[in-house]
Amino acid sequence: MLGTDAFLSLAKATSAKHGLPHMPVALVPHPLGGIPAERARAKADAILDEVLRGLTTDPAPPVAGTSAGPMLVEAPDDLDAFQVWAMEHEWSDGLPVLPPTEARVARLVGRGSADELIATLMPLDGRATLHAIAVNAALAGAAPEHLPVIVAAVRAVATPELNLNAIQCTTHPCTPLVIVNGPIAARLGIAGGPNALGNGHRANAVIGRALRLTLQNVGGARPGREDRATLGHPGKFTYCLAENEAQSPWEPLHVERGFGREESTVTVCGSEPPHNVNDHGSTTAETLMAAVAGTAATTGSNNIYLGGDPLVILGPEHAQTVASSGWSKAEFKRRFWDAARVPLRKFSGDNIARFKLTKPERFEDAGADTLLPFASTPEDVMVIVAGGPGKHSAIVPTFGATHSVTERID
Amino acid sequence: MKLWSPFSGGQTRIGRLAPRKSSLAGLTIGVLDNSKPNAGVLLHRVAELLAARTGAAGVRGFSKPSAARPAEILDDIAQSAHVVLTGSAD
Repeated sequence: MLGTDAFLSLAKATSAKHGLPHMPVALVPHPLGGIPAERARAKADAILDEVLRGLTTDPAPPVAGTSAGPMLVEAPDDLDAFQVWAMEHEWSDGLPVLPPTEARVARLVGRGSADELIATLMPLDGRATLHAIAVNAALAGAAPEHLPVIVAAVRAVATPELNLNAIQCTTHPCTPLVIVNGPIAARLGIAGGPNALGNGHRANAVIGRALRLTLQNVGGARPGREDRATLGHPGKFTYCLAENEAQSPWEPLHVERGFGREESTVTVCGSEPPHNVNDHGSTTAETLMAAVAGTAATTGSNNIYLGGDPLVILGPEHAQTVASSGWSKAEFKRRFWDAARVPLRKFSGDNIARFKLTKPERFEDAGADTLLPFASTPEDVMVIVAGGPGKHSAIVPTFGATHSVTERID
Repeated sequence: MKLWSPFSGGQTRIGRLAPRKSSLAGLTIGVLDNSKPNAGVLLHRVAELLAARTGAAGVRGFSKPSAARPAEILDDIAQSAHVVLTGSAD
């Protein structure tokens, strides 16, 4: 296997996950991408001996590790000392964590079966048992009533359509956004109104954080190692909101996806941070669309060349403006898909050459004026209503090679 | 204080690598391009230099359409090449 020195940790994690930690890896100096092909080619000479050795010499087999399973460990009693210890032991996301004592974890598990395997999480195929999820929920400060939402979110992110391995390991700034629908949102105080994606809401904070800590600690996406995000984004601490169903002029997301209005669901998507859409002037759907589509149609977006199902979060006032023009949600999606496009000529020649190479079916016949849509089909565009009073909405692009997943909360 | 560890038993199985070849002479070197920029350039250059040095029979190229998805042609590659080089990540 060949790689660059900056990404050795991911190469090692990938081969270890497949039971082959002794897979020979030859490294060239980073970077390999974004440099002229001649310079990439010139890096071959230096690793030739190593590659030949890797193909002709059996490496010593490693010693098999032992499965950790649930384990009690001794940590400092002092809460401030515990924070330092938690960072040293890679338990934490950097914010203060609460100690997962036996009593707190037992309260979170409640009458559930601690050994129940909820999901296996990439990249390390970590076993997300109810117990393991509860331990991470305890670290995040969650209460027992939050656990069913967290468990449903863990189940959802492990569904193959989400492509969790790529979401966890990519350099792209994405993380699962958790959208909660149904009556559980009001019952638990999961905010979908003012500042829904901001601070000030315990349920949003601890549910998103518990999922993220589970992905880090059980899934094994450690920042800078398996999690190769170039910059990451603040939603990697927590990223959760409810749809503002009461103020939506349309059916909510979970109803659109075949669930009953009285059922509660989580929807997860591999999402970038929200990109704001400020429009204080428009009074009709047609005129508002210029701002919404204009915010989406940018050259730096993964969705433009990879597809996927990006999200439009309409603030309630913008949603009302759209609905008062007589548009259904499906009509909004169709118009948005028509409008949110980038002409190929806006990309650099280097990038166009790469698109043609990696996605010939989409780009081979494309000319300079070919318009690239923000999603593959109108139906792929996700739309929810959230937020409070004000004239703002948000575009939430995704990793692209991912599809959102909706799961019922049991 | 005693605390539950947030980690969970993951993959601990140790698999066997395919036996290494004593020499590449007369063998086909496969290249699986992971579709990251310049990965194919480097992989093919290494394979060509190796073939020239060792007397390998030739180089056979494969690629997966996206670095973000697993390769679906592994059986095909295993049938067509004796050793394979591929890339990890960027």
